[in-house]
Amino acid sequence: MSDVTNDLPQATEHRLEELEKGLFTSDLSVNEFLLVKEAGFHPVGFVMGSSIYHTGIQTRKWSQSQELTKLTEAMYNARELAMTRMEEEAAELGADGVVGVRLDVNYYEWGKDAAEFIAVGTAVKAEDGVSRLNKKGKPFTSDLSGQDFWTLAQTGYQPQGLVMGTCVYHIAHRGIGQTLGTTGQNVELPNFTQALYEARELAMTRMQDEANELGASGIVGVRLEEKSHQWGSHTIEFLALGTAVTKGSEDVTLVKPVTIISLDN
Amino acid sequence: MTTGSSDLPEAAQRRLGEGAFSSGLSVNDFAACLQMGLEPVGLVQGFCAMQWGAYGVGLIQRGITPYGGSQGGYVENYQCPHGAMMGGEHRVWGQNYQQTWIESSWHEGFSSAYARMVEEASDLHADGVVGVLDTQSSLSEAGVIEFHLVGTAVTLKGAPVATTPPWTTYLAGQRLAKLFEAGFAPVAVIATVSSVRVWAYCVTEYLMGGAGGFMVNQNFAPQEVDQIVRAQSAARSIARKNVRDQLHGDSLHGADLSVMEREFEKGDLEVQTLLRGNRVRRFKAFEALPVPQPTVRLS
Repeated sequence: MSDVTNDLPQATEHRLEELEKGLFTSDLSVNEFLLVKEAGFHPVGFVMGSSIYHTGIQTRKWSQSQELTKLTEAMYNARELAMTRMEEEAAELGADGVVGVRLDVNYYEWGKDAAEFIAVGTAVKAEDGVSRLNKKGKPFTSDLSGQDFWTLAQTGYQPQGLVMGTCVYHIAHRGIGQTLGTTGQNVELPNFTQALYEARELAMTRMQDEANELGASGIVGVRLEEKSHQWGSHTIEFLALGTAVTKGSEDVTLVKPVTIISLDN
Repeated sequence: MTTGSSDLPEAAQRRLGEGAFSSGLSVNDFAACLQMGLEPVGLVQGFCAMQWGAYGVGLIQRGITPYGGSQGGYVENYQCPHGAMMGGEHRVWGQNYQQTWIESSWHEGFSSAYARMVEEASDLHADGVVGVLDTQSSLSEAGVIEFHLVGTAVTLKGAPVATTPPWTTYLAGQRLAKLFEAGFAPVAVIATVSSVRVWAYCVTEYLMGGAGGFMVNQNFAPQEVDQIVRAQSAARSIARKNVRDQLHGDSLHGADLSVMEREFEKGDLEVQTLLRGNRVRRFKAFEALPVPQPTVRLS
């Protein structure tokens, strides 16, 4: 399989054909379903994309903090492949977007240094027939829940795409001299601070670059995740994820929230 | 890295100079901010990795003299009531003392990370930072912890470009809206740690080991472990005083106090208290809120 279009498995084609006949599947809760409808969309199908990727190895210097570019690239490409395949499924269904996207990484015993990257979500289509495809002509993606999707619509913003940035970074070990030099003291370790700072900023910059490519005016719900996966404690992947949004042309007057007393227990 | 200006990494300068804003706010908090006239301009963060250890001092004197690990601050001594006829393992002296060096190191780590977060917000000409989250987590190497502060920088719609350092708050969304509604404005997040080391004397050791009896009191009645209780009380009291010192006459809103007890070995433990909250200042008189609407959720 490659990242070109129409590389979906045969079983997928069959499932999507059934969905095109009118039946829809979704992982939305009933409340989410209601609010997605309220926002002017209806679900057209549960979509997913997957990629099993060999992440390989990259040598690192024991005493040097550095980005491991090959691993960064691998983690990035694998997620992109999974996302692209999910978008392809959504496009096949004629969807305008995908909401509630979840991006996971699974490791299996049978695949040393290989990981499965999965993207799943619910494809939705605008009920007014007006296309909501993003600047790249693809269905928008977002990790927003149905409730968040509705709330965002009330603010006059529209989701453009789930954007991400990743950076795999090796944090240098301290030498014996450095360790002995600070024995018995609680002091800042500037090299550690600098390395972690740099790594997170690189991940966030890449996420923002993706948003800029989509012509977004901002990113909401940014999450910063850190995982060592299977590389040992000094090698960390920093992943920044969020939903890129653009402001609609119409001015929106936001409703002032009403004070309530809940009569529930 | 220092806490001075312009010590942010190049990647941070580049990110903050880009067009699109980023925000760590949930969509609900984002909507509430827009409703208040606050516009997100960027996710801002600050870090500080610190070498970290408890580093007890005067351990050799533990149990045999009243001159243990104290280096200023709160100290209380406890003397064995049993006389001199006890064995060598018997802790004749016990001590509670404030670990001022732990408190100042924690303050240094938190303040450095905080200053860097505020510096990023200032670079964006933000008026404030909302939804601040602070964490202290262990890093890859033993004995290293990282202070991490992250928040969303905001500007006030229609206000002139900020020339003063931005205000900060742990609050976001409707909780922040309620604060404004009540007539208070956020000034800064405040966090402080107090640390009290407990070197148990014989009575505390017996009580903690569940072996009270005639060595503790003659009627075998259950009783309070006075030395630990006083350490807990002192730790809370020091934390409250540290926060009061940072308030400079303002109020503390949404205080959150957590206590951690850590035992290094039998009869040697640390009571650490973390107290944080929002420093707020009144800017208008309180106006009665609208009458709440009774509501029943159908879900």
